[in-house]
Amino acid sequence: MNNLQQTTRVGLFFILGIALIWVTFQTLSGGKIFREKGYSLIAGFESLKELKKGDEVRMAGVVIGAVEETRLAGRRAEAVLRIHPEVQIKNDATATIVMAGLIGTNYIGIDLGTPGAPALRDGAEIRTKATPDLTAIMTQMGVLGKKLEGALGSISTAVTGDGKTPGLFQKLDKLVSDNGENVNATVANIRQVSDKLNKGEGTLGKLLNDPKLHDDLVATVNEIKGTAAEAKTFVANAQAIVDQVKAGKGTLGALVYDDTTGNDIKASVKNIRDISDKITRGEGTLGKLINDDSTLRDAQAIMKKADRALDGLDDTGPITAVGVVARGLF
Amino acid sequence: MKQITAILDGFGSTWLLLVRSLSYAGTLPRQYRRFFEQCYLIGYTTLPIVAILSFFIGSVLALQAGYSMQNFGTQQFIGSLVGLSMARELGPVMVAILLAGRVGSAITAELASMKVYQEIDALVTMNIPPARMLVLPRLAATLVMVPVLAIIADLVGWFGGAIVAKYTAMISIEPEAYFAVLRRYTHFKDVLNGLIKAELFGFVVVLVCCNIGLNTRGGPREIGASVTRAVVVSLILILVLDYFVTQVLMPLQ
Amino acid sequence: MTCSSTRSPFSQVETPAVGVSIEKLSKDFGRLKVLKEVTFAVEPGEIFVLMGPSGSGKSVLLKHIVGLELPTSGRVTVDGKDAAAEETREQVRMALVFQSGALFNSLSVYDNLALYPREHRVANEAGIREKVMHALQILSLEGTARKSPSELSGGMKKRVAIARALVMEPQLMLYDEPTSELDPVMSATISEIIATVKEDYHVTTIVVSHERELAFGIADRVGILMGGALISLGPAAELRSPQDPRVAEFLNPKIDLQHPRFKNLET
Repeated sequence: MNNLQQTTRVGLFFILGIALIWVTFQTLSGGKIFREKGYSLIAGFESLKELKKGDEVRMAGVVIGAVEETRLAGRRAEAVLRIHPEVQIKNDATATIVMAGLIGTNYIGIDLGTPGAPALRDGAEIRTKATPDLTAIMTQMGVLGKKLEGALGSISTAVTGDGKTPGLFQKLDKLVSDNGENVNATVANIRQVSDKLNKGEGTLGKLLNDPKLHDDLVATVNEIKGTAAEAKTFVANAQAIVDQVKAGKGTLGALVYDDTTGNDIKASVKNIRDISDKITRGEGTLGKLINDDSTLRDAQAIMKKADRALDGLDDTGPITAVGVVARGLF
Repeated sequence: MKQITAILDGFGSTWLLLVRSLSYAGTLPRQYRRFFEQCYLIGYTTLPIVAILSFFIGSVLALQAGYSMQNFGTQQFIGSLVGLSMARELGPVMVAILLAGRVGSAITAELASMKVYQEIDALVTMNIPPARMLVLPRLAATLVMVPVLAIIADLVGWFGGAIVAKYTAMISIEPEAYFAVLRRYTHFKDVLNGLIKAELFGFVVVLVCCNIGLNTRGGPREIGASVTRAVVVSLILILVLDYFVTQVLMPLQ
Repeated sequence: MTCSSTRSPFSQVETPAVGVSIEKLSKDFGRLKVLKEVTFAVEPGEIFVLMGPSGSGKSVLLKHIVGLELPTSGRVTVDGKDAAAEETREQVRMALVFQSGALFNSLSVYDNLALYPREHRVANEAGIREKVMHALQILSLEGTARKSPSELSGGMKKRVAIARALVMEPQLMLYDEPTSELDPVMSATISEIIATVKEDYHVTTIVVSHERELAFGIADRVGILMGGALISLGPAAELRSPQDPRVAEFLNPKIDLQHPRFKNLET
């Protein structure tokens, strides 16, 4: 090989290298070489979140362009979209920032718009819609979790007591156990009466005029009155009963035959039954929470995700665990 | 003790050779023939092996990355891994290692044989400094040719990765997606970083190989010993320098 | 021999021959003392032959004169300038003809000869061509110009090496074993060339050799180096009847199969 040929080859080789470096530079530094292709649209958002230069623009999942520039314009953030020339975007199409994955990649998604609408021209502004991003969802989830926890705590306190003041169930329990003897006696008496009635012994008048029996009943009612007074602050319906008892209708008859009171009690009991039925059937939020495993698992999964996200959360801002790893690598 | 002196001696003579060569930099224009000859040897004839090797390095990088990334389902980020690794690390280091193995060894063998057969002494008595006639054109050619080799290594490695990413079942990433990710996460500064590294490694390799060749003493057997030493010293220097240069270049990003 | 003042065919100006002075030169390689306080001087324009057995330090001494080796102690001056200093090589043109020839194997014979004038830009390419062809012609080497050194025989290589030295238009010519490995006729030819070159160019010549014929044939003065020390120094004629038994032994060894020398060598 003579010198000229060698020199020529070296020269060509060198020029090739410079050209490759130049092309690499242009391609990696925003692709200015390809600037002439396509037209641009402006999308204004309250926040671009993690959107950055070079991110994709997709329509119905198909890549139709890229984010050419991101900038602040007054009180909003703008993304300049470079759209392939052969793609038409209707003027009622809406752009949203979409998260492509958990690791912090975003793209701009544009919907198809209505078929008959005119197409957007170069430099036009496209309609946008803000979407909550993952970080916001995570934050809301956290707040929700706290609220849920608080609610559950107060319910539990109300039902079982908090150590100082006895809870609803405790009060009811006390009511029943304290008056157990009397109630038993009453029930036995009633049975006796009904036995006697069945056997045809005596009359209803005799029953009502038997002084001993009457005294027992009065005592029982008095006992009930005392206990109910204690329970009044907790059970509204019980309060009503006690009020009625206090109001002078101090007999079992009054208690039993007063329609309103009886109905009240019935309604209350029915309500409680309904609630407990619902809970058992798994209806309602609390019921679901207690009965439906899938809800529980969902909640657990969400918590775990949030937890992991928080673990991975670095000073660098709201990026996810995998995002942190990916960035850390490079 | 003797080895320590030998190492210090090596450092000293290398620096001295560098200073001497650079002091003759003004004579480069009239040595253009030698310069082009060395460019041809260092750049052009090294290209095929650089291309082949970087292709397979890029491929195996994509393969290994795909294998480990499938655990996280993050195969779509292979482009960024291959892009950055090739540009910042493997491209320049591989070019430097090939330069040591192919060009450096040849330089040492040539200069050592010139030394053993007294051609170097003849040059000295003719008042033609070897640093001017033998070392300077090689260093200059290295400076010009290494970036070219490095950028080709980068690009070919990227393409190798793209092909593997497309045709490996567990990865199956289309080249468009691969390059989109590569372009998003690999910036020109990463490539530039790699080119600077390659330039430095190449320069050091050629300088060290020249020095070891010129300092050969004894008979023809020493030529072989010098070549071995030159390649070993070059490889060690490349990897040691790599760490420190990477450290220095990191904050400049 | 008389000192002629023939003008060099290469240069336009007379380049004066230079003298060499060696004062108490000692050289150690590690513990090995190669040269021990060697002192002598070479006059401008004379042929000085340095003789001695193999390993006596002749070649090392020669390398000190061109500055390829630096003295452990003592001083070597060429034309009054320190031979160890690099500037001396720029001020005094010295040419060393190596034992092996030391031709540049990667260059053709022509390019070997043209290297010096090209590097030092003594003339344009046409002028260089003239000089090179002239030197080749003197040594009857015109046919080899395009050949590579590896294609040449030993005698031709030495002649090319001498031609390459001549192109430098040296003020001091040094020959390292110019006749080693050559047949007797070729040795005689080389001796004739050395003498002719000296006549034509009026160049100070130092020849290192252990060839008796060469010394008697062309030398003005002869020094004998043995074990790193100079044991004899004088006109060539004196050596025909040497006083020192070591010199006599060296110059006229008798082959004695009854008492072989190698069995009596000091260990």
